[in-house]
Amino acid sequence: MNAIEWKGKLSAIRDSFSVSITKEPAENPEALELHFLGRKGELALLLRDLKDIPLEERKPLGALGNTAKQEMEAKLAELKGATGAAGPAVKAGIDLTLPGWPFPKGSLHPLTHTMNRLAEGFLKLGFTMADGPLIEDDYHNFEALNFPPFHPARDMQDTFYVDAKDSGGKSLLLRTQTSGVQIRSMEKQDPPLRVFHTGRVFRSEAVDASHSFAFHQIEGLYVDKGVSMADLKWTVDTFIKDLFGSAVKTRFNPSYFPFVEPGAEVDMSCIFCKSAAGRCPVCKGTGWLEMLGAGVVHPNVLKACKYDPEKWSGFAFGAGIERFAMLLYGISDMRMLYENDLRILKQVQ
Amino acid sequence: MKIIYSWLSDFIENPPPPEELAAKLSRIGLKVEEIKKTGASFCGVRVGQILKIDKHPNADKLALVDVNDGSGELRVVCGAKNIAAGQKILFARVGALLAEGELKKAKIRGVESEGMICSAAELGLEGGDNTGILVLPDTTPVGVDAVTLFPKADCALEVEMLPNQSHCLSHYALARELCVFYGFKLKEAAVFSGEASGNVVQVNINVPDLCPRYGAIVMNGVRGAKTPAWMADRLRAMGSNPKGNILIDGSNYVMYELGQPTHCFDIAKLSGPKIIVRRALPGEMLKTLENQDLKLDAGMLVIADASKPAALAGVMGGLETAVSDETGAILIESARFHPPTVRLASKTTGIKSESSYRFERGTDPELAMKAARRLAALILEAAPGAKVEQITDNCPVKYEPPLVEIEPARVNAILGTGIADGEIYACLKAFQPALKDAKPWKFSVPSYRQDIETVWDASEEIARYVGYDVIPSASHMPMRPSTITPQWAVGLEMKNALAGLGFSEVYNYDFISVKEMKACALYADFALEVKNPLSSDYQFLRQTLLTGLLRTLRYNLNRGRESVQIFESGTVYAKKDGGKTEEVHCAGLMSGDFPEGGFWRGGQGTVDFYHLKGMMSRLFAGKGGFRFEKPKDAPGYFQPGLCLEMKLGGGCAGHIGRLSPAVAAAFDFKDNNIFFFEIPLSCMAAAWKPEFWQKIAKIKPVSAFPQNWRDLSIVLEEKHEWYELERAFPGVQDLASARLIDVYKGKNIPAGSRSLTIRFTFSSMTGTLNDADVGARMAAILDKLTKNFGARLRS
Repeated sequence: MNAIEWKGKLSAIRDSFSVSITKEPAENPEALELHFLGRKGELALLLRDLKDIPLEERKPLGALGNTAKQEMEAKLAELKGATGAAGPAVKAGIDLTLPGWPFPKGSLHPLTHTMNRLAEGFLKLGFTMADGPLIEDDYHNFEALNFPPFHPARDMQDTFYVDAKDSGGKSLLLRTQTSGVQIRSMEKQDPPLRVFHTGRVFRSEAVDASHSFAFHQIEGLYVDKGVSMADLKWTVDTFIKDLFGSAVKTRFNPSYFPFVEPGAEVDMSCIFCKSAAGRCPVCKGTGWLEMLGAGVVHPNVLKACKYDPEKWSGFAFGAGIERFAMLLYGISDMRMLYENDLRILKQVQ
Repeated sequence: MKIIYSWLSDFIENPPPPEELAAKLSRIGLKVEEIKKTGASFCGVRVGQILKIDKHPNADKLALVDVNDGSGELRVVCGAKNIAAGQKILFARVGALLAEGELKKAKIRGVESEGMICSAAELGLEGGDNTGILVLPDTTPVGVDAVTLFPKADCALEVEMLPNQSHCLSHYALARELCVFYGFKLKEAAVFSGEASGNVVQVNINVPDLCPRYGAIVMNGVRGAKTPAWMADRLRAMGSNPKGNILIDGSNYVMYELGQPTHCFDIAKLSGPKIIVRRALPGEMLKTLENQDLKLDAGMLVIADASKPAALAGVMGGLETAVSDETGAILIESARFHPPTVRLASKTTGIKSESSYRFERGTDPELAMKAARRLAALILEAAPGAKVEQITDNCPVKYEPPLVEIEPARVNAILGTGIADGEIYACLKAFQPALKDAKPWKFSVPSYRQDIETVWDASEEIARYVGYDVIPSASHMPMRPSTITPQWAVGLEMKNALAGLGFSEVYNYDFISVKEMKACALYADFALEVKNPLSSDYQFLRQTLLTGLLRTLRYNLNRGRESVQIFESGTVYAKKDGGKTEEVHCAGLMSGDFPEGGFWRGGQGTVDFYHLKGMMSRLFAGKGGFRFEKPKDAPGYFQPGLCLEMKLGGGCAGHIGRLSPAVAAAFDFKDNNIFFFEIPLSCMAAAWKPEFWQKIAKIKPVSAFPQNWRDLSIVLEEKHEWYELERAFPGVQDLASARLIDVYKGKNIPAGSRSLTIRFTFSSMTGTLNDADVGARMAAILDKLTKNFGARLRS
């Protein structure tokens, strides 16, 4: 192709474009754009043909081509404004109030957000993350945690068993608590130690608004010389204040977990009713919310891990992730967290 | 456990009101979950009779009623529909105290009312409705104070019991706990204090380690003795159903009162008559009180007569030796059994009773005889002609209270407190009045508190005594750096990236059904089975996250959603060499419109393979050695030929692909436009570096000179796939990128071939490339493509 032919073709394209753009009713501007200006559009192909024309003639032709392109783009934009807009009133411009491109919005699950935040709380206090299996043996899930066989404390945790056995021939189970990771950590490491773990646990319980046969826990363990209940109080109080602000108060009540002695349950002042007496639906007017279990590590647990309880002492505290998530997100039925309704999940920021 | 306030008050001198009591219990770890008022607490209400009913002059729905309440005739305004002349009703005069407070004089629609005919709800009666007035039987005498017709006002406290609170499982025990901790004065229950030396029934204990004590009281002359009304009321308040026979009801009563389960045998039905405490013989049977035939085994402890088992020790009595209304002579059993043995028997037989509940938690060794004597006293009260014939206390293993040495400094070290010695001593003394004040303190554990074994246990009691609030909040914890696990770090990174790509995270259970397993073409041989699943829907542990994601997809499609883009991170399980493996995966799927909801200017479509592939490329962008490969064997749930394996370094980073039509059909989806990926987190965790600086890739410099690009359209046979071409480009001088911009088949292209248009961008670090430079490089590329793939330039 020589320069003359090239110019002729350009002019033919311009003519053809003028005809198309003024048609009534208007043609789809996207289709026109594709046809003339698209990657394989007439103009683009023509511009590509420039490479066959000697360099010295090429420059002015390129300029001509670009001018034509700009004109066509301007006309197309005008047409798009007209066809895309609601009516002729805005023919001159484009309706900026139309919705933008719908970029897909993803979301993290409320339990993930909650778990991440709680884990962050432990990390700030110098607790290192530890890991353990979900399918556990009886020893790590119960016995080493001071739940002897046939102890009624085992009734607190109805257990699922699986058709695989540990080295001693006992059925393996789905862990009922994250506390087994305490044992696994102490077996691996000499004191002092400061670890935490979060993950899924299982209990063979019917599902209802406040129970689920799979749920999540987080718990921390600290063993060192001279660790006392006072250290535990400070740590738990700091942990809770880190999450809910320095205005909240914490309160310890006696409670029972086989692997701690003394054991405690930790309440937090209700952040929803601001402790004003009345009918707060969250704390039921008590002004307090049950948040954590805690206690001084039971000497039997230390002994099971070959830590000398006369030399070392420690504390442990933990919580259910669901409980925190339900409070934070205002969810009253735990089942909602496992239903996976995208209308709900997409609300999470 | 339910605690009746009036019953508890039997054992405490001057008890505080219920609310205060509840607060005191909660403070020492006995959480009161509910306080429920029971019985009648109104005042000034009498039984009345309706004499006459007239219409209210100013209201259709009201009536004027004349009532006689025994002391005169009064006229009231009444709105109830169920009134009729002649009815006996509950009448409150002005000034009466009702549920809502004092009844005031009132004018209703212009007519003065001198009182009120009450509904059950207005009187505050439990479960009372307010749809109409409460109508009494015709025989009720007019004028009687109505409060006497109902049980007395009382309170029922629901106390949460933890497994270590076996010393609190009765009214007496809770009263004792309150007295120890708050200094109230404890009162004792009346027991039979006489003696009897008869030897009607011989009691033999063959296994003293399983039955350290067996108390027995033999009584005769008990035939026909009835349960007194007050006892029946209390049992009902406990939620138990009184039988009317004191021998049965009295036994239950004593258990709720003292915490010691007892049992009455009908001596006439006991062979011997003898009591032998022994292990069951293999194959022995027992018909229980509830008419259930139990097959016993040698692990079970039984109470046998001379010939066969008469009761499963601590769990349930036998039907054949049970008392009835005809029973004349009984043996009261009040024993102590080995807790794990009772628990095992209860588990094996599936029988959970109030008795086994208490025995498996451990009973007070010193309580057996007291409880037997208490029951004897109650029976004697109900059957004045009865006589105690024999009192046996067979106690082969005497209870020796353990001595715990308590050093105040150790207590304070455990608690982190500075509690004065005197205060610690006072606490211990409250538990054990016999404690001597000379140090070292040897704390002799009270028989009912066998859970106190060490100074840690004692420290908890001291903390409960002084109150947990006394413990200061003070830390000696040194600063220490903390780390996370590689798996957590990688998982978090991936979750955030997927959410950024438009995926919503879901949480599914780990359990799947055999149907779902088959529907996903998974191998049952490798699946771990739950031995005691909640239902067949949850019988196996998932081997892939696919099943849950498909469930979620269906749930959301059923709710009108047209586009679903979800992911999940969780554990998958498999059987391996008789053991198990578990691994954390991250998986997701896309289906429906993309972008979701479409766009008004057009340009949207349906999700396809390349959408998902592009997302995976984004997810792994910057990860060294990431590529897609054709899988050697793709998981069976992918459509054959529509699956790629992802590789990271040398290892497998999971698969992506389109779901097979069979899987989609099995899950009732209308088509298989479902695109799925699953990634084992281990593929990234292995390469994860704990130190942040090691993870950061150094930035490559870019050229200061302009870049050039050229498009190349070639035609080649379709058998040559894009990834083969891609591998040919590295090594071309100054090539910055080679991007596929068009694929074309059809007109002017031979069948079996296709045209590819590729944009090559060149950039040199040392200067501007001129036309000739670029031309030379393009020629080299074309030459390579021609030689390797038979490609030719498209004309």
